[in-house]
Amino acid sequence: MSFIEVKQISKTFRLVKKKSGLKEAFKSFFKRDYFYVNAVNDISFSIDKGEIVGYIGPNGAGKSTTIKILSGILVPDSGDCKVDGITPWKQRKEYVKKIGVVFGQRSQLWWDIPAEDTFDLLKDIYDIPEKEYQDTKRELIEKLNLADIINIPVRQLSLGQRMRCEIAASLLHNPEILFLDEPTIGLDAVSKQLVRDFIKRLNKEKHTTIILTSHDMADITSLAKRIILIGKGQVLYDGSLRTLKNQYETNRLIHIKTKDKITIRNKGILNKIKAKDGYDILLNTKELSISEFLNRISRNVIIEDIDIENESIDQIIVKLYEDYQI
Amino acid sequence: MKLYFKALGLHLKSELEYRASFIISFLSQILVFFSYYFIIIALFSKFSNIKGFTMYEVLLCFSIIQFGFAFNEVFARGIDKFDKLIIDGGFDRLLLRPKNIILQVLCNESDFIKVSRLIQALIVLVIAVIHLNISWNIFRVICLILMLCSSIAIFFGIFLLAASYCFLTVQGLEVRNVFTDGGKHMAQYPIGVFKKGFVYFFTIIIPYGFVNYYPLMYFVGKNNSCLYSFSPIVVFVYLIPCILVFYAGIKKYSSVGS
Repeated sequence: MSFIEVKQISKTFRLVKKKSGLKEAFKSFFKRDYFYVNAVNDISFSIDKGEIVGYIGPNGAGKSTTIKILSGILVPDSGDCKVDGITPWKQRKEYVKKIGVVFGQRSQLWWDIPAEDTFDLLKDIYDIPEKEYQDTKRELIEKLNLADIINIPVRQLSLGQRMRCEIAASLLHNPEILFLDEPTIGLDAVSKQLVRDFIKRLNKEKHTTIILTSHDMADITSLAKRIILIGKGQVLYDGSLRTLKNQYETNRLIHIKTKDKITIRNKGILNKIKAKDGYDILLNTKELSISEFLNRISRNVIIEDIDIENESIDQIIVKLYEDYQI
Repeated sequence: MKLYFKALGLHLKSELEYRASFIISFLSQILVFFSYYFIIIALFSKFSNIKGFTMYEVLLCFSIIQFGFAFNEVFARGIDKFDKLIIDGGFDRLLLRPKNIILQVLCNESDFIKVSRLIQALIVLVIAVIHLNISWNIFRVICLILMLCSSIAIFFGIFLLAASYCFLTVQGLEVRNVFTDGGKHMAQYPIGVFKKGFVYFFTIIIPYGFVNYYPLMYFVGKNNSCLYSFSPIVVFVYLIPCILVFYAGIKKYSSVGS
């Protein structure tokens, strides 16, 4: 049996129908129309210990609902979920000691005091033994580069500094599972990289299972080998990122800088545009591989510079969303 | 408990970060609440008693209620401000931690500025007791302590009920004010001065009467049954359903979500 086992969970919310206008607001004050939303519908998956899983989907697909169920905040209407043999919403106190949660959009640090004070409080909340606490703290300070910022009131920290403190706060009790809900939202490139490197290292050294949601596909590509795509409350794809890429990433745009004329013709060349100092060529890699293409043109063309554009994973995801009509 | 005091210390630390604001708020609280006491003094300069209650009896009544209310505002502010916790999603965070929820809510916030009211209430209480010429005995001492404790307990219970109400509508605060602020203002006076209906309401529905009215009768010698001195115990029983309702609220929350 897997470490995390989610079996056919469903959750429906009842919402009040709201119409615009004051008149309608009055009407709904007295008589409410409800409608039902299947936030998640019959979702199943399983995750092994030590995996990093990217959990992606458009806004409103049911990502947060699943995270909330997995972390024990919400109880599903039906279905079952076992994490290391524990049902999250049934043995709350026991379960939450095993998990750490980072919400990118919400802070758990106290605003007006240094992060270290919050850490001390968390020590008591999780009943962490003194020695273990000091060791973990030292390690986190070193790895996340917190030494200079841990004594400054949180409100004076930059977003990137604060996020590093947030992550440290979620890991003080050495959780086995870490939920990261958009951990890099609003961060600059350097901070993003730092956070990603840290997460990778954490997974490698401590075998922490990591479930990551993000709209920044660079997060997902650099961290997760496996992704679960969810849309309209259902699992649409569950598998490796590479397979997904191979399946969707067939067209590549190649810029070639040259003074010579390119005359090559092949079924695989979908488009050829003469640019200022060379050509932009759109290639279907299933028909004609990149190496074969280069091989052919380098015979009679002197290439000064070449730039092969990666179809960004964002575009792949957009295509994927279109294919599944979500 | 250690956790709670640690959190309390951190709140104090946070508040002291803004020194000027803290001092000004602290002083202004003292001024505002002295005006309340002045009203009573002014009232009694015109009338020597209200339905047989003298000024110091009313002041005693008043200060006991103020004491309990201010105590909860300082030490149980998190429950008072529970709606905020639900709205900004902080409650989810509490559910992710391996400690009792009510304890965590208590740790979540506190308002040290209200300490000024707490001190004020105690000063007035002492003045009133000195002027009342109490014929002291062990029951009267117990009675006074129980009155103070039950005053804390009743506001704690009412805050909890109001907090549970947040689970239903997220924000519907005026209803709770009927019970907290409205009730508080009523109970500041010996409820005997009001009409019968009020007396029943504040005895049975919300047992304010047991906090200061019935024990007060014994305390100042208007009634000699020492049963009255133990009547505040009723309030502690009242806490049980309040806590149960709150837990029912949590259960509902986790099945409905935000």
